[in-house]
Amino acid sequence: CLSVVLLLSVVCLGVSSQQITDGRLFSIAVGRVQHLHLLAQRLFSDFESSLQTEEQRQLNKIFLQDFCNSDYIISPIDKHETQRSSVLKLLSISYRLVESWEFPSRSLSGGSAPRIQISPKLSELKTGILLLIKANQDGADLFPDSSALQLAPYGNYYQSLGADESLRRTYELLACFKKDMHKVETYLTVAKCRLSPEANCTL
Amino acid sequence: MMRKVILLLLLLCFTAHTRGKLHSPPAKPGLTSCRSPEKETFTCWWKPGSDGGLPTTHALYYRKESSETVYECPDYHTAGENSCFFNKNDTSIWVNYNITVVATNALGRAFSDPVEIDVVYIVKPNPPEKVTVTVMEDKGWPFLRVSWEPPHKADTRSGWITLIYELRVKLEEEIDWEMHLAGQQKMFNIFSLRSGGKYLVEVRCKPDHGFWSEWSSTSYIKVPDYFHREKSTWILITVFSTFTFLILMWLLHMNRHNLKHCILPPVPGPKIKGFDKQLLKNGKSNQIFSALVVPDFPPATSSNYEDFQVEYLEVYVRREQELVLEESKDLHNSCLKSESSTSDCDSGRGSCDSHTLLMAKCREAKEGERQTDRECSPMRTEAQRRLKDWEEEALNYAHAGIVSLEMSSGRVKTWPSVFSPLPRYSSSPLDQQSSLQMAKQLSLSTSSYLTQPGHSTKEALGQSYWDLCLSSKQPHLLNPPTPVCRELQAHSDVNISSIGHKRAPAGPRSPALHTTEYVEVQRVDNKDTLLLQPVVQGCGRMGGCFQMPHGEVYSKVKGVDSDNVLLLQREGMGEDRCPCVEQETNEVTGSCHKSCTVSTTQKPSGCIYTAVPVRDEMATMANGYVDTATMCTLHTC
Repeated sequence: CLSVVLLLSVVCLGVSSQQITDGRLFSIAVGRVQHLHLLAQRLFSDFESSLQTEEQRQLNKIFLQDFCNSDYIISPIDKHETQRSSVLKLLSISYRLVESWEFPSRSLSGGSAPRIQISPKLSELKTGILLLIKANQDGADLFPDSSALQLAPYGNYYQSLGADESLRRTYELLACFKKDMHKVETYLTVAKCRLSPEANCTL
Repeated sequence: MMRKVILLLLLLCFTAHTRGKLHSPPAKPGLTSCRSPEKETFTCWWKPGSDGGLPTTHALYYRKESSETVYECPDYHTAGENSCFFNKNDTSIWVNYNITVVATNALGRAFSDPVEIDVVYIVKPNPPEKVTVTVMEDKGWPFLRVSWEPPHKADTRSGWITLIYELRVKLEEEIDWEMHLAGQQKMFNIFSLRSGGKYLVEVRCKPDHGFWSEWSSTSYIKVPDYFHREKSTWILITVFSTFTFLILMWLLHMNRHNLKHCILPPVPGPKIKGFDKQLLKNGKSNQIFSALVVPDFPPATSSNYEDFQVEYLEVYVRREQELVLEESKDLHNSCLKSESSTSDCDSGRGSCDSHTLLMAKCREAKEGERQTDRECSPMRTEAQRRLKDWEEEALNYAHAGIVSLEMSSGRVKTWPSVFSPLPRYSSSPLDQQSSLQMAKQLSLSTSSYLTQPGHSTKEALGQSYWDLCLSSKQPHLLNPPTPVCRELQAHSDVNISSIGHKRAPAGPRSPALHTTEYVEVQRVDNKDTLLLQPVVQGCGRMGGCFQMPHGEVYSKVKGVDSDNVLLLQREGMGEDRCPCVEQETNEVTGSCHKSCTVSTTQKPSGCIYTAVPVRDEMATMANGYVDTATMCTLHTC
């Protein structure tokens, strides 16, 4: 009887501590993803400003047909859906999104130094989200299902790459990256606010 | 008629045609902007082109990314004219919309340029609501507290949208706004207010990736007048500093003398005793210098008789080494005392102070082989040359009786007396005449003088007394004038009228005079005692006369009584040289001997002889000398 009590108390402590660290982890994750999003925005704007008007028009037309590499990941696209999703789901989607960009971010070319740091930052973010997932995981593990799907799009994606479309590709990459980062940021913020005890999440 | 109808028809047709030409398909419209206030809905506005004269309609068509389905705007009215409102159901985030506006009229249609939008990046929230400004106090200093609410549509609560706020403040009369970034907080404090001023406050917000909202409605606030503590503090500081300053000035004023001494030390003035600055300022030099003459200077009551000037004329002959060696010990003593003074080798000088002369004597006495002696030797030779002259002169004067310049050495020295004012003698070789003259001219404060032997007229030597020290006890004589070294030292109080020198024993004297002894006054000690020394007679002739017994004071002046009687006292100083009775007939000690024999009751020391009043004795004595023989007979011991 005593041992059970002790075990329970330890578990409770562990859980409580986990929850405490969750909030802090969330804050850190949100901060990181915000930074990444800003980086993506800057990259995109730099790229756009470097383009000429002729190319811009072409890109606009072309962009209509293309899609991002992360489009296969189904994610809520409005607030309602987002609110409906659980924290874990949000976390997992975020995790997948980040993971999907880990490899392609290395090909992001450019002259500025911050690009070099994108890949390790993504890795760190991924690790943080994983921790959050593990901390909030209290049920089925969604990973095996999603991880199986990831490989195929990668393969298709890079096969279609052509030398002529390098400029377009860069444009698309940057645009998609920016969008995905914003997605992750939003999901993490929503998840964090949902878990935080304060009613008014954003101060 | 027909033609009119046809013309009318043609005209109608023409006008109809022309009207048809004014109508045209509509111009291309343009999308001006699309905005989403809360990232849940959005609205697009377009600007229509010319309508071509015909009523045109506009339609907005959009297409979502990765889909070919074209949708038309669901709501044209909610957002106003020429707008399309997309509600929540139609709005997808992170999805690219391709929006096109089409203007249509009877004659044609026009398509606008397509616009790609992503709702996430077109968010422009509504301004913050419920902006309130209040005046609050912080330790007496007022400040403004501004608070607001986010726009009600923006869902910041769930974290769907994150807003940051900014506010701006200005005084009513100012032009420029003061911007403050408030971050995500909904409250802000403004400090450093002007009392009694009226302030305007506005707030706006922005999502983390989006556009700034419009400024909220202006809030007015008036700051009440508060007590000007700044001024009161300054007044207090000013008063305190003034007070402190006044105190400091007062302290400085009280100590201005000390400060003056510190900063500008006074120049030391002359501190000569008896020197009066006022007299100097008045410019009367006579008075100044007369004031310098202090009555008690030179010190008359000096107890150190050895400092007295010994005045004598000292003549050295060649054999100075012998002479030097035969110096008495007393001389040595006296010489040693004046050792410190510098020596003067100029034997021709007439005026030297006793110290220098003593020094010279000492040096000679010490070693003859000194270099200084060598230096002095030429002088001495010259002096020797003069010696004869002087001797002759002395002989002459012996009768004249002025000067007893008996020389036994080649050096003639004349010493002035000690006391003021000392006539300075030139250092050049003295003419014998001049030396004699000078010797005569010595005027001293003492009342002693040298009478002339056999000469009624005394040289008004007056105050002078001199010592004609013929180098003490020189056995070596060149001339009959026996080497008489006589030192006459007299205290100022002592009135020695004459202890005249003595003539050579060849002088006409009574037999008793043959036994005249020559006395040399060595010094006067501090007991007012005149120390005399016997001088060897005739030693010069004999040659090889040994020196005088050292340390023997032949006779000592005990004192002078009121009758001007010189009281001599014979004293033997430590030597039993003059147990005169037993002395062998040696000419050296002959005089001593004889004199002693005469005075049977004479004690070796401590005899007191009554001195004859010399002046009176002059008539009696042929030469006016005081000779010890006579003295001896007059002893009273």
